[in-house]
Amino acid sequence: MTSTKNMVLTLLIVAIVCSVVLSFVYSYTEPRIAETQAQLTLRGIKQVINAQEFVEIIPDTLWKAVDSSGILTGIVFRVFPQGYGGPIPITVGLDLNGKITGVRIASAAEGLKETPGLGVKITEPEFKDQFIDKCAPEAQLKSDGGEIDAITAATISSRAVCNGIKKGIETYLNYLETPIDKRCVFSDAREFVEIIKDTLWYALKDADTIGIVFVGFTQGYLDCIEFMVGVGTDAKISGVEILYSSETEGIGEAIREKEFLNKFKEGSAEAITGATVSSQALIDAIEEYITRYKEYLK
Amino acid sequence: MKRRNLFTRGLVKENAVLVLMIGLCPALAVSGTVRDAFGMGLAATFVLLFSNVMISIMRKKIPNEVRIPVFILIISTFVTIIDYVMQAFQPDLYRALGIFVPLIVVNCMILGRAEAFAYKNSVIDSILDGLGVGLGFTLALTVMGAIREILGNGTFLGMAILGEGFKESPVIFMILPPGAFLVIGVLKALINKYVKKETQ
Repeated sequence: MTSTKNMVLTLLIVAIVCSVVLSFVYSYTEPRIAETQAQLTLRGIKQVINAQEFVEIIPDTLWKAVDSSGILTGIVFRVFPQGYGGPIPITVGLDLNGKITGVRIASAAEGLKETPGLGVKITEPEFKDQFIDKCAPEAQLKSDGGEIDAITAATISSRAVCNGIKKGIETYLNYLETPIDKRCVFSDAREFVEIIKDTLWYALKDADTIGIVFVGFTQGYLDCIEFMVGVGTDAKISGVEILYSSETEGIGEAIREKEFLNKFKEGSAEAITGATVSSQALIDAIEEYITRYKEYLK
Repeated sequence: MKRRNLFTRGLVKENAVLVLMIGLCPALAVSGTVRDAFGMGLAATFVLLFSNVMISIMRKKIPNEVRIPVFILIISTFVTIIDYVMQAFQPDLYRALGIFVPLIVVNCMILGRAEAFAYKNSVIDSILDGLGVGLGFTLALTVMGAIREILGNGTFLGMAILGEGFKESPVIFMILPPGAFLVIGVLKALINKYVKKETQ
């Protein structure tokens, strides 16, 4: 009886002491582990695209790359296609045109299971840098109709990388929604502060408000025209961009031309011959919007 | 037995991997590069040393019937500690060693020393024994790792030492799993020929 009690007590005490020690070690190392993990991931995604900051969209899988003003410059995603020896961890950066900015493939030390000396050559620049500036259809092996040279004696690994990248681009391409780059209409501004969601922003430079940027709509000849305008505090237009229009091809679409849009900056915009309805609608609408937002310009 | 011998016998004469042939699983699996092999060796040495010390301290308090569960508890605690620490401070090494860090728990070398030595001997002796066996294990793994990395990849600790030409087309076989068996076999043969004769 005593010995049974003794056995139970010993095990219990040892188990309790062990768990207490472990919980201390865990609470000490846990933040460090999370930090190291985050750093490793960031190190990986920084190698494939040049950006100031990354916004995680899908944990460990998809990031938006943004510059210092928070404007989308591209995306980074991770895929794990099945290679010869196991899944291949690939990180890919895409610019706004859907072209690859860089590819990173985990090394053997990070879990790549391809054959040493053969399959692992996919991690070398000679292979992976072929993808730079390619879009999805080009990111295929030459034998599959693309532009990538396979590694001799490692065709399975090479093809797996191509297919993984192509599939990844197809899956995540819709996250590359064309951003409304507010600097297109206000090149002097360094920062934009939203006043009305997706509609009106203050344009800032060195913490001073130097104007506003707004998005407006008007009825064109066929359909709605969506436009973005930058206006300085002196009420001068700094730029106009057409975000959406589907006017008559070749005539009404002339409102997209730089020659016409640049005239707004000089304050001498006038209707285009042959596209009077569309261009006049735009001129009138911009004037009306500026009047509406005047109070923000003070 | 002299205290000095407690330490040295584990290094070569009773080397766990090359003479006693225990702890072979990590020895074969993670001796592909010097860094991995050395890291694995040190992790196992840490666990072996501290579990030896703890078990030796508690040896008079542990009832004989439950000694194995107590050993396992203590060993797995130290393994978990090294697992967390490595994950936090050596993430690249941790990824390379993968499953073989948690598997130190069932390394028969460690349980073997607990049962055969630490449970019956003083703390000082157990420290010497743990250090000797652990460093012997590290030594065996590092030698294997060095041979395999130099021949199989043309590098030592990642530095090309046999010239760029060799690095282009090394003996890939050595880094693949069969290379581990070949290297351990050759080392075992050498040990049998030279070290065992000396002791007879």
